[in-house]
Amino acid sequence: MPHFLNNKALHRRHILRGLGVGLALPWLDAMRPAVVRASAGRDEAGDQPPRRMFGICNNLGLLPENFFPSETGKNYALSPYLQTLEKHRQDFTVFSGVWHPDVDGGHPADICFLTAAPHPGSGGFRNTISLDQLIAEQIGHLTRFPSLTLGVNVKQGLRSLSWTGAGVLIPCEEKPSVIYRQLFLQGSKSQVDKQVRKLELGQSIMDSVSDQTKSLMKTLGPKDRARVDQYLTGVRDLEQRLDAAKEWETVPKPTPKVEQPKDHSDPKEYMDKVRLMYDMAKLAFETDSTRAITLMLDSVNSPAIEIEGTDISDGYHNLSHHGKNSEKLKQLEAIDQWHMRLLDRLFTDLKESEEGGSNLFDRTMVLYGSNLGNANTHVTTNLPVFIAGGGFRHGQHLGFDTKNNYPLPNLFVSMLQRMGLPAEKFSTSTGTMRGLEWS
Amino acid sequence: MKRAIRIITTLQPQIVSLKVGRLRLVPVLVLFALLHRLNLDATADTLDSVAAKFVASKCLDCHTGAKAEAGFDLSAMLERGLTEGNLKAWIEVHDRVEAGEMPPDGSASKEERTAFNRLLFPKLVDIDKGRIASEGRTTLRRLNRYEYENSLRSLLDAPWLQVKSILPEDGELHRFNKIGEALDVSHVNLARYIQAAEYALREVIADKKEAPESKVKRYYAREQAGFNRKTRYSVFNRSPERAVFPLIDYKPDLDVLHNENSAYTVGESNPELRERESFGVVASSYEPIEPRFTEFKAPRSGRYQLRFKGYTFWAEGEEKKWWRPDREKTSVGRRSEPIVVYSELPPRQLRRLGEFDFQVQPTVQKLDVYLLNGETIQPDAVRLFRSRPSNWHNPLAEKDGMPGVAFSYLEVEGPIIEKWPSRGHSLLFDNLELKEIEGEVQVFSEQPEQDVDRLLRRFLTSIYRRAVIESDVERFSKVALNAMKQGHSFQDAMVASYVAVLCSPDFVCVKEPVGRLDPSSLASRLSLFLWNCDADEKLRTQISQVDPSDMPKVRNLTSALLRDPRSRNFVDAFLAYWLDLRKVNDTSPDEVLYPDYYLDDSLVDACLEETQLYFHEILQQNLPASTLVHSDFAFINERLAKHYGLPLFEGTQLRKVILPKESPRGGLLTQASILKVTSNGTTTSPVVRGVWINERILGERIPAPPKSVPAIEPDTRGATTIREQLELHRADTSCAGCHAKIDPVGFALESFDVAGGWRTHYRSLNETGDRLEGFGKNGQPFTFRKGPTVDPSGTLPTGEEFKDIFELKQLLLKNERKIARNLLNQLLVFATGAVPQFSDRVEMERILDRLEPAHFPVRSMIEEIVCSPLFLNK
Repeated sequence: MPHFLNNKALHRRHILRGLGVGLALPWLDAMRPAVVRASAGRDEAGDQPPRRMFGICNNLGLLPENFFPSETGKNYALSPYLQTLEKHRQDFTVFSGVWHPDVDGGHPADICFLTAAPHPGSGGFRNTISLDQLIAEQIGHLTRFPSLTLGVNVKQGLRSLSWTGAGVLIPCEEKPSVIYRQLFLQGSKSQVDKQVRKLELGQSIMDSVSDQTKSLMKTLGPKDRARVDQYLTGVRDLEQRLDAAKEWETVPKPTPKVEQPKDHSDPKEYMDKVRLMYDMAKLAFETDSTRAITLMLDSVNSPAIEIEGTDISDGYHNLSHHGKNSEKLKQLEAIDQWHMRLLDRLFTDLKESEEGGSNLFDRTMVLYGSNLGNANTHVTTNLPVFIAGGGFRHGQHLGFDTKNNYPLPNLFVSMLQRMGLPAEKFSTSTGTMRGLEWS
Repeated sequence: MKRAIRIITTLQPQIVSLKVGRLRLVPVLVLFALLHRLNLDATADTLDSVAAKFVASKCLDCHTGAKAEAGFDLSAMLERGLTEGNLKAWIEVHDRVEAGEMPPDGSASKEERTAFNRLLFPKLVDIDKGRIASEGRTTLRRLNRYEYENSLRSLLDAPWLQVKSILPEDGELHRFNKIGEALDVSHVNLARYIQAAEYALREVIADKKEAPESKVKRYYAREQAGFNRKTRYSVFNRSPERAVFPLIDYKPDLDVLHNENSAYTVGESNPELRERESFGVVASSYEPIEPRFTEFKAPRSGRYQLRFKGYTFWAEGEEKKWWRPDREKTSVGRRSEPIVVYSELPPRQLRRLGEFDFQVQPTVQKLDVYLLNGETIQPDAVRLFRSRPSNWHNPLAEKDGMPGVAFSYLEVEGPIIEKWPSRGHSLLFDNLELKEIEGEVQVFSEQPEQDVDRLLRRFLTSIYRRAVIESDVERFSKVALNAMKQGHSFQDAMVASYVAVLCSPDFVCVKEPVGRLDPSSLASRLSLFLWNCDADEKLRTQISQVDPSDMPKVRNLTSALLRDPRSRNFVDAFLAYWLDLRKVNDTSPDEVLYPDYYLDDSLVDACLEETQLYFHEILQQNLPASTLVHSDFAFINERLAKHYGLPLFEGTQLRKVILPKESPRGGLLTQASILKVTSNGTTTSPVVRGVWINERILGERIPAPPKSVPAIEPDTRGATTIREQLELHRADTSCAGCHAKIDPVGFALESFDVAGGWRTHYRSLNETGDRLEGFGKNGQPFTFRKGPTVDPSGTLPTGEEFKDIFELKQLLLKNERKIARNLLNQLLVFATGAVPQFSDRVEMERILDRLEPAHFPVRSMIEEIVCSPLFLNK
């Protein structure tokens, strides 16, 4: 008996190589029709530089003792970790005592960091739309890529922070070189023509599928029809995306100012990968190629990583179950501090990028945090979260009740409104973020 | 429950007039409304007055109006009576009353509760059945990733296809990926179906006119860069454990060792000596040393036979540092060694292909495998250690040396092609000619329009679960015809049409007619249940000839499906979700606390396979459902024998052994896989394991913890045990109720560590306590200490006490029917893809009644499911 194969180790590039017709573009998932909802966000898009959001989740979090400041308000003393961001202290707001209501279940909760869908660990769980996809649905047509879904060390790219409205995962991209090429590399005329022909073939395929789906609907009862209706919506969405992709084929891509990055293939080079992803996000925003980016830092799936100046003896995930072992805590602290240094660098880079009399940082909301309040206990309360830039009055620690947490989805409502989008509610929100004002 | 059902048939609903005076607690207005309602239509849909009286006198005090307890407004429900709309809420009432949770604090006697539910139950069943009659139990659903992959593999006769990983993860409901309500579709899925379908089709389309030649080629270890670059020391490595041992038979090849310029092999110049040359290792494959047969790369995806020649040897140690091997002192091996073979697609994408043992004498070991285009082969001597810095010490070293494994060669035969073009190709293009077009071999058609029509009809016949309809031929041939008009080749145009068919809802979705399933739907349901794959043409034909009411025939067919090797798909998929086996690698053992498990892949592999073989055996031997909790046998290999403290033997193959009486093993509860998926790698928790066993094995519903209560923070410093921490937690009355149910099972399982090893004491990282001598798989000394004693005793909610896992298992075994009911419930969800319905309970109890005399044999249970109306109807 031959041994049956399992799927564990199939490389995505290998699949793509096999494609002849090449219907499925790597970025298809992120494509949005250019034709719909042109009204949303227009006032912003006109003479003002656009607003964006960048959502980052480190799924092992940060050591709470070192992250949370002990004082609240405007003139709080920076915690050991936030000390690393001292240069930017007036440009971010740190939260404590916040959570996504009823988002429990430990590790599986990372997929809810931007969706806030309750009970990800439970039997009946269904995820809901993520913050970036909600943004993309409304203003995605204004850019080449409605959103970018990125990841570092994600198992086969099959986890991410981005979920469609139907509760389906958008797999993430892990290679900076691929992102770079998508952003800048212009195909030749014949390549473009070929691509357009392929997209048309894809449209023709979806056409026949939609045709059958419609005739199927007629024969069904209400419960079944609702499912097929969802199928039809999926088909139509894809048709529109193929259409938008066709339009974008004819729009020239921007000229790059920097060289194509080299990919790091070893998961141990975690921090280098994170740094490059920050660079790619900046490039994408700078060229207005997209306005919503998510990045999952899959620390859970990371081995013993390389950290300058410290020997890391154990896998990142194992370290997080530190059981209060002092050696493990020391190593975790070194890792956490590197996260803070890379953020410091990201903020500085964004500030240095000028745009319409302001800078990129002021127009980009960077949300950083975790689904775990404390990886040692797997709790999903008291999440370490802060937001930087993007047009808020920062420089404060908003401390909420650590026993009875404040809903974090309120921050998402604030962010949506700051993007210029009409939003009253996001998942379990109860309003906007209390204490966070526009600047 | 059983009693209630028997009564249904005989019990006539009684109409009893209401005595207003007894209902003193009910607000007057509500009462009037109530009376009014009941008087108007005291028919099947309204509540019997006796039942109404029970609710009024026992429940409304708390559950009335806007401020009703838990938001549960029974007065409104009473007023509306029993309708399809509030069925769920009434079921909740029924279940809480049955469980004795409501009314609280024993304010209703058992008799009162039973009487109430006896009235309520048949009404709930009636309404539920009415609803099912119009819509069915199931909702139309799409195939999940596993089913889509298996179906394409079967359809295209290409078992190597890797489709699942292209598709987004599926939603789950009631723990399975089988239920329509959770299997959503969006544009992402459709884009991925296009990708997956095209990949699969291209994998089977012939790229050559003639069959590629099947070659037999030998790859000598000495000639592989993946071995020989680890021969000489360099700035990167000066450790013999991280180098290869050039050997001739069992003796060191001193020439290669000493002479920097010597070739690694005598090669063809001396065929006799070449056969005796090998490279040995004393370490398992890991980052510093990963020998590979790098010169071989699978030229195409398909079937291959791999033949490995090798043997074991003994490496003597250095004089002072006896745990360090001396590459110049080797001798004949002392035991066999297990070898696991992986295929690798760079970078580091490993797929486990199989395993075998090398013996002291050289042998050639065969593996029949499917390889993917471009994969290379990496063998791993898994019992050996994996050195982690610094100053490692081989845990297998003895004063006079340590074991090693020598690889002579890998011989590859393949690709083994039975038919060219492949059956998959023929399904797509029949016998159309292959021609070289623009430098590529492509299918050629002289009359493309006719061929599009003809081929599509063939294809649709074999993949749709129904007869071909003209509108399909029309819409899908349009895709190919348009494509050709735009300049795509005939072959590409056909591929586009086929992709469309494979993305179409009639292929992707399981659609069932309301009421009795037609033969084709029944074939799909059976196949998706027992093979986790859509039915092939053969099965469809077979089923169309069976009368579903001919139970013996259906039974025979079911057991034939279970005997087919494809039933392994069912076992693996069912266990992957029911028992979370797909998560067995989600956490790894802590390096410091469990260095003996850390990095030991062979332990995880074995424990996963153990559970799969165990369930397979239960099915094949038709063993009682109680076997889930206890048995006198287990499937183990050498690694598990050691792990379980059972009599040792050599060998990597798992085999069935009879357990000694004093072993706690036997049954799922004490299998390493289960104990591993219920721990986090560092600590165990009686709560996590207790909830898990209650829900998965005993079928007890455990409510979510109140969010106001902080979680217990695990502490490995050794000062307190998790049990002591829990005692504090349980002192809180709001916690005590549920934890009385949850914790006991978990307490008994505290006798097992994070990987399922037996323990009488916890391990701690405290500075005090006895040290345990030893070295981990990583070569690092144990630093953990002996911690507090494990207390595995407990008291079940029934008041029954147990002192350990042995006694607990005996107590659990008393309730065979409960164990069987839970399994039946899990199987029903998997089998029918429907959320469990209230009225299912009637049929479930009937099935259990029939199975009871033989102690609920599991294969019979599956046959009963297939023969039941729950399975035979939508």
